[in-house]
Amino acid sequence: MLLAALLLLPFVTATLLLVARPEAQARLLAMASTLVTAVVVLLLWAGYAGSAVTVVDHDWVPAVGLRLVLGYDGIALLMLVLTGLIFPFIIGAGFKQQHDRPATVNALLLYAQSFLFGVFAAQNAFLFYIFYELALVPVFFLLLFWGGEQRRAVTMRFFIYTLLGGLSLLFGLAWCVLQTPAPYSADFTALHALRLGSEVQVWLFWALFLAFAIKLPIFPFHSWQPDTYTVAPLQGTMVLGGVMLKMGLYGILRFVMPIVPEGVVFWRDLVIGLSLAGALYAGAIAFRQRDLKRLVAWSSLSHVGLLCAGLFAWNSYGVSGALYQAFAHAVLLVGLLYMVGAIHARTGTHDLGAMGGLKLRTPRLAVLFLLVLVNAVALPLTQSFVGEWLMFNGLWQHNGWMAFAAACTIVLGAIYMLWAYQRVMLGPDSGGPAVADADRDDHLYLVPLIAISLFLGVYPGPVLDLLEAPVQLMLNTLTALN
Amino acid sequence: MSALILTSVLGVLLLYLGVFGNKRLLAPVAVLGLLGAIALMASGWYMDVPFFADMVRFDGTAAAFNMGLTGLTILLFLFGVDYYARMERDVAEHYALMVFSLVGAYLLTSYTNLLVLFLGIEVLSIPLYILAGGKKTSYRSGEASFKYFLLGSFATALFLMGIALVYGVSASFDLGRVQEVAEAQGSAPSPLFLLGLFFIAIGLSFKVAAVPFHFWSPDVYEGAPTLVTAFMATVVKMAAFAGFFRLVHLTGLPPALANTLLAMTVLTLFVGNIVALRQTNFKRLMAYSSVAHTGFLLLVVLGNSASGISTLFYYTLTYGLATVGLFVVMVLVKRAANGSEEVRSFRGLYQAKPWLAITALLLLLSLAGIPLTAGFVAKYQVFLLALQAGFLKTTVFAVAMALVGIYYYFVVVREAFTADEQPLDVQVTPLNGLVVLLCGIAVVALGVWPVVLP
Repeated sequence: MLLAALLLLPFVTATLLLVARPEAQARLLAMASTLVTAVVVLLLWAGYAGSAVTVVDHDWVPAVGLRLVLGYDGIALLMLVLTGLIFPFIIGAGFKQQHDRPATVNALLLYAQSFLFGVFAAQNAFLFYIFYELALVPVFFLLLFWGGEQRRAVTMRFFIYTLLGGLSLLFGLAWCVLQTPAPYSADFTALHALRLGSEVQVWLFWALFLAFAIKLPIFPFHSWQPDTYTVAPLQGTMVLGGVMLKMGLYGILRFVMPIVPEGVVFWRDLVIGLSLAGALYAGAIAFRQRDLKRLVAWSSLSHVGLLCAGLFAWNSYGVSGALYQAFAHAVLLVGLLYMVGAIHARTGTHDLGAMGGLKLRTPRLAVLFLLVLVNAVALPLTQSFVGEWLMFNGLWQHNGWMAFAAACTIVLGAIYMLWAYQRVMLGPDSGGPAVADADRDDHLYLVPLIAISLFLGVYPGPVLDLLEAPVQLMLNTLTALN
Repeated sequence: MSALILTSVLGVLLLYLGVFGNKRLLAPVAVLGLLGAIALMASGWYMDVPFFADMVRFDGTAAAFNMGLTGLTILLFLFGVDYYARMERDVAEHYALMVFSLVGAYLLTSYTNLLVLFLGIEVLSIPLYILAGGKKTSYRSGEASFKYFLLGSFATALFLMGIALVYGVSASFDLGRVQEVAEAQGSAPSPLFLLGLFFIAIGLSFKVAAVPFHFWSPDVYEGAPTLVTAFMATVVKMAAFAGFFRLVHLTGLPPALANTLLAMTVLTLFVGNIVALRQTNFKRLMAYSSVAHTGFLLLVVLGNSASGISTLFYYTLTYGLATVGLFVVMVLVKRAANGSEEVRSFRGLYQAKPWLAITALLLLLSLAGIPLTAGFVAKYQVFLLALQAGFLKTTVFAVAMALVGIYYYFVVVREAFTADEQPLDVQVTPLNGLVVLLCGIAVVALGVWPVVLP
């Protein structure tokens, strides 16, 4: 019941916004909807007993294995909670943006939220795929209507890139569905029960993995990401990086690892190598950026590389760490992007070279920025520290050199983030008109974000408890293999 | 059966209405007549009785296809009310010829005799040769008609030759007898029989515009009046594929023929999708997109499994609905853009008429195969069938080509949703709006509740 509400509430609100177009109240209405869904996911969490739950189970198109099965386990619940908690912040970021047609913007965002809930609640691979592709459509329009320069070309590139992955996934999915005993079923339970031959798994791995590798993205499938993140409107980037990226992570856990475990064993060193190389490379590029938003885009790429590496370490530290870090990354990215917006509103530029000494004029904003930033550099007692420490541990168990490379990306992250802070906030005042310091709205927005990151940094227990059982269940297949 | 007679009589009736100059009655009579035909077919569902000395058999699938074909024609006629109100004075012939062509389509879906197949193709095609030249003062229309006629009659000659060769082996035109011969010969048929099947396949490939028999389609699509183009892209394709599948399903595919068809499929997918990328004219884009869809449908024919006919029906129907809707939108845009058929002229559509742009978006999403539209389920079924039949590499290729397809459909979407300096002054009559909305609702409804023929 609660799960159905999660899918329907944003969808209905969005349709309402699109049809009635209450431009003046659009933001408030969207905010109310996301706050209610946030409460609903917390209720779900509170009511979660520790074992997988199936809420809805209906036939839809039996001929192709499509069934309407909705439910969640610990991993999916974490993703639902993440989506539910982050979206109020994404909508909230719109209060300070001057858009034309706010009703449409908020409607598109809410559609995206509804489809994302669908992705994480789907227990049928086909249903997952439908939501996965649908989630792309609102973002396409957000980019096309409200993007920055060259948005038409960037939008098409992003779209084609993502659909390339999607179609590859569809092909792999169709192939898998045909291997299930007749009548075909695309339920995750049926697909996870498949025992495919080793040679098949080696090639099928790429058919399934490509989609998620592009979605995350990991090196070398990342070339759409920096442009898209930069060109997209602030809220669009928040959706893309904060939540949609996690679909990739979740997809790897739902498709790649259970269906083609031998393929994972075969390719994991390559994937970890690519991810870490990408993380180092993106970190080095982030260091050279002059545009603050681009810097955030590249830093996100670097974080995601580490995330994927941790996941493919494929032990309980690595997988739990990656999932934990996924949550942390969402909180962090939304905070950082909000800061980018706030700084842009005050200085009128994204160019780091033109900034400096903002702290003298906006001392409170500088403190808030620093508190967001400590999460980015994974300082102990922040959420990121827990995630990165777990991933580091996981990689260490797999291979010492890989752990070393991971540690390097963390150090690199600290360098470019702190340097960015220095160039924006410290130094002599670059002049310019007097600007307002962080006001009540800024505090209302950033303080809860910082509180989440600090709270879960000090007390990660609840989240890790959620992950323990499903992660262990999945890792058992690996033990069975060896 | 009774529907076949009713429709033929309807064609004659429309001609007479034209003689007495009662232009305003034409569309209502035609639509009512076709609705009657649908009612007859629906009431005769599964009355699987042979007709005409067992040369025609209206079984369940034939009835389903016929209803689909009639439904698409009705949508086109509803659009025709406004379309022909602005055209030359003698429009009765246009309606009548389309109805006659529809009769040919009925025969194509229900034949059990090679002669009836030939008859069906000819009854389907000859009115189209005339219709393609419907804009009498336009060079392009004349060129379309002439080109279609020349190439079409050449293909028909080969087709007839094929039937004669098959007859030479089986000593009968009856499909049942041909099937027995095919089964007796197994996978190594006699050269004569094989050559016969080859020629028949060529004739049908021409009708469905499979590469390398597709050269007529862009020119004819561009030159013919848009309503006729839409008719060719939807009704003709649907009927020709039904006929194709019926034949292949009974005679089976000898390895040589299967390999040739496989090569044609790959070529069709490749040429259709890649050349579509370069098109700036919307009608030519739709022509190449139609070639591309032929490629996907050929995969179903090649797969040749029992559930193939259901997929074929669903795919052609959803493709037809989306295409009809888009052609109507295109005509409306063309009028607003001073007769320009360029994709570029879609720019500003969302500004002018948001609901029209959103419906066009749904139709394009369906053609591109994005989830929750019918086109997605259709494409997915095709991939499943092809994988079941063991075409692993071809399916991978088809998936890659589907991606290319998404690109050129989204170029149209991008144009429609990009604001223009000069607002597009789109005028929509209620009936045209109804047709577009019906198509839009149908592709979503069929996507959520796909039909599966028993």
